Amino acid sequence: MMPRNPRPPIPTDFQRPNVVFQPKTRLGMQRGINLIVDAIRPTLGPLPRVVALKRIGANDQLPELLDSGGLIARRIIQVKGRDEDVGAMFIRHVLWKLQEKAGDGTATAAVMFQTVYNQGVRHIINSGGNAMRMRGFFDRCVPLLLAELDCMRTHLQGKEQLAQLAETITHNRPLAEKLGEIFDIIGEYGRLEIRSGRSRELEREYVEGIYWDGGWFSRDMVNNPVMQRSEMEDAHLFVSDLEINEPADLLPLLELAIGNQIKNLVIVATVLSDRAMSILHTNREKITVLGVKAPEAMATKRQAALQDLAILTGAQPFFKAAGDTLAGVKLAHLGRARRAWATREFFGVVAGRGDPRRLRQHIAELRRSFASAADKDTRELLLSRLGHLMGGSATLWVGGFSPVDIEQTKELASNAAEAMRGAMREGVVPGGGAALLDCRRVIRPLLDEAKDPDEKAAYRIVLKALEAPARTIWRNAGLEDIEVMADLRNAPAGWGYDVLRRRLANMAEAGIWDAASVVKAAVHSAIASAGLALTTDVLVHRKRPPESLDTA
Amino acid sequence: MAYLTSQPDPNLFIYAIAGQGETFFAASTAGLYRSEDGGATWALATESLNLTEVVPSTALALSPDFAHEGAVFAGMAGGMLRSADGGRTWLLGKAPPPPPTITALVISPAFIEDGVLLAGTMEDGILRSSDRGLRWLPWNFGLLDLSIYSLAISPDFAADETLFAGAETGIFRSTNGGRAWREVDLPIGFETVLSLAISPAYRLDRTLFAGTESQGLLVSADGGASWKHVGREVFDGPVNGVLLSPEYPARPEMAVLCSGAAWISRDGGQGWQPFLSELSAENEITALYAPRGFAPGSPLWAGLVGGEVTRLTV
Repeated sequence: MMPRNPRPPIPTDFQRPNVVFQPKTRLGMQRGINLIVDAIRPTLGPLPRVVALKRIGANDQLPELLDSGGLIARRIIQVKGRDEDVGAMFIRHVLWKLQEKAGDGTATAAVMFQTVYNQGVRHIINSGGNAMRMRGFFDRCVPLLLAELDCMRTHLQGKEQLAQLAETITHNRPLAEKLGEIFDIIGEYGRLEIRSGRSRELEREYVEGIYWDGGWFSRDMVNNPVMQRSEMEDAHLFVSDLEINEPADLLPLLELAIGNQIKNLVIVATVLSDRAMSILHTNREKITVLGVKAPEAMATKRQAALQDLAILTGAQPFFKAAGDTLAGVKLAHLGRARRAWATREFFGVVAGRGDPRRLRQHIAELRRSFASAADKDTRELLLSRLGHLMGGSATLWVGGFSPVDIEQTKELASNAAEAMRGAMREGVVPGGGAALLDCRRVIRPLLDEAKDPDEKAAYRIVLKALEAPARTIWRNAGLEDIEVMADLRNAPAGWGYDVLRRRLANMAEAGIWDAASVVKAAVHSAIASAGLALTTDVLVHRKRPPESLDTA
Repeated sequence: MAYLTSQPDPNLFIYAIAGQGETFFAASTAGLYRSEDGGATWALATESLNLTEVVPSTALALSPDFAHEGAVFAGMAGGMLRSADGGRTWLLGKAPPPPPTITALVISPAFIEDGVLLAGTMEDGILRSSDRGLRWLPWNFGLLDLSIYSLAISPDFAADETLFAGAETGIFRSTNGGRAWREVDLPIGFETVLSLAISPAYRLDRTLFAGTESQGLLVSADGGASWKHVGREVFDGPVNGVLLSPEYPARPEMAVLCSGAAWISRDGGQGWQPFLSELSAENEITALYAPRGFAPGSPLWAGLVGGEVTRLTV
């Protein structure tokens, strides 16, 4: 007799996973890690070479030409060999997370990771080293290195210095000049939109005041037909996410406004129906009303945007979720702005008349939240909110010879912008790998004092890892890294090799900088993650992942 | 002693006095006035504009080469006036609507070359002109408070492009010629800064004074990075004006207007004595103009509530 609830048969693949032990584990992972890093290595430095990636399922198209380590790592979604794939995907994840967090530094992290891992494997295999003990010593180095980098930090000022920084990130002088000027104006929290341009040039535009997505409800509200724009001076604002469907709903607000001799009124709402708008037409002799759509599609983002708009203009926002209705509206609930405008897509206010103390407190709170936020989406939302409150915004129009060219430059600009924000917030350190070379001075005393073989090995490996980015930059520029290192041996702190001018240089005076936040994130990611990777002892491969069993 | 108007007006308030040679200007609630005899007699300067009502004037700026080119600018409640003939005739500068109320005005020390002027406004933040006052555009990036009360421009502006703006909630600094602004941390929270004075040797001493509404006078010796109080025991009201000697810090003399009275220090703000007390005993002093500083024998102009302008010698 069959049981009432027969147990489904366990697939054979899942029953017999492929388990890989040492030394196959480390050697397999090592091959995968080396594969990824060797693909990224040519992109490090001011004389990078590009990596051509064949597009998936598009044999007749040009390959994608990339010089961003993070992007190259992300595009490699699988490598041949299952053991190799584990190593490759491990470092891929580390680099992509770094790219998301810092915007740059992936090639630096990649070569440091590779050095730590390869040298670590060598010590373990040749000298019987213990990976867990070594990892502990690696972890001891990380805070010391971060503190040393903090000591080297300086802050950049002016568009020239910012452009120099941008050039070290993008290796694209025209783009760097534009970014330098833009960030000098908008600051580290400022709003920058990067859009595809129509010409072949890079262009920038500054917009006064604040604007959000969400244009006018009706073309009838346009009072500048040439620009298809509605403009108001000395406007009062009703800020809400309400759905206003009936003319009667609007009556209390209109009566309040007309009764208080308000001439220009902006109504921010989620819905303002044609029926409701009919009452506005009836009263257009008494009051000019501009109805604009509440910004953002997601409710939480919309509430945040409306809260910001309310603080900026001194309004009290009305929220549907809180049960607010127009019936209770009072004059004190309305905000004010010197100017308000709307197009089909956007609405904006200039010189909101909210309480500046409250605004500055609000901005300070957002900055604190931004500094402590770890989640990328939260940081992006907070940055967007801060950008809206900074008094203006910039748009960079990116032109190019082809759509592919434009997209690549946009991505480059976007990553550079992220790194520059970090540099402006946290400062910069001497670039070209010089800061990391200088960091060796905090590890050398540890090495001198170390007695344990694993400890000695760990510090030697970290010293080599700190040299790896500079050596890679020199080799990518066609130089003999051993010779350059010998030349630098007696150079003072802050000096490195300027590969463009082919000479030793004080990196600060030569304008060669790296964002401190990027270098710190790269050091942390590379050393801590490589130490973790070294402790991987066993690999378990499944022929099919467990989740696919359900669908089977 | 002379009055701007034919008779004393208790509601008349003089915001600023400026001039060179025998030509002087006074910005007041009764409008913009001009004198051709060093302040002995005054006449409304805006007759040529045929204004239908009195438009208060709030700020003044003279070209560094006023003696030769005669360029002078006046901030008004509703816009900016410019004159290229020593104030005989005036034209309205073009600013974005609605009409701004100007509260402060500074002119680039290199105005002859760069033509740059900046104006603080009551609700519109900072307006900047780079064409000798013809067109004015708002530049408020990073300016989190658009109510500006005072401006100070670096004497080395052509090189360092540094400006400070005193606002309702504190001080903002620009290091790119007024195109963008950054908050300056003050040890007194979000306090209104009514007056600013920058050292003539700012490039070397990085010294800046800030007069606040209720927290007295502050000084920074590092370009605004850190601040300390000076004359705390003296200034218990709004500090409306701070004037430094043009030879500061070689001659560390300065005067402060606080609650209608004037004070002078001859040691960089360490010690303070009442100044012009015979004047302030009669009426509140609202404006001081000391183009040659406070050395004995230097000329000095004082504006008082009621519209009186007095020329004195220190």
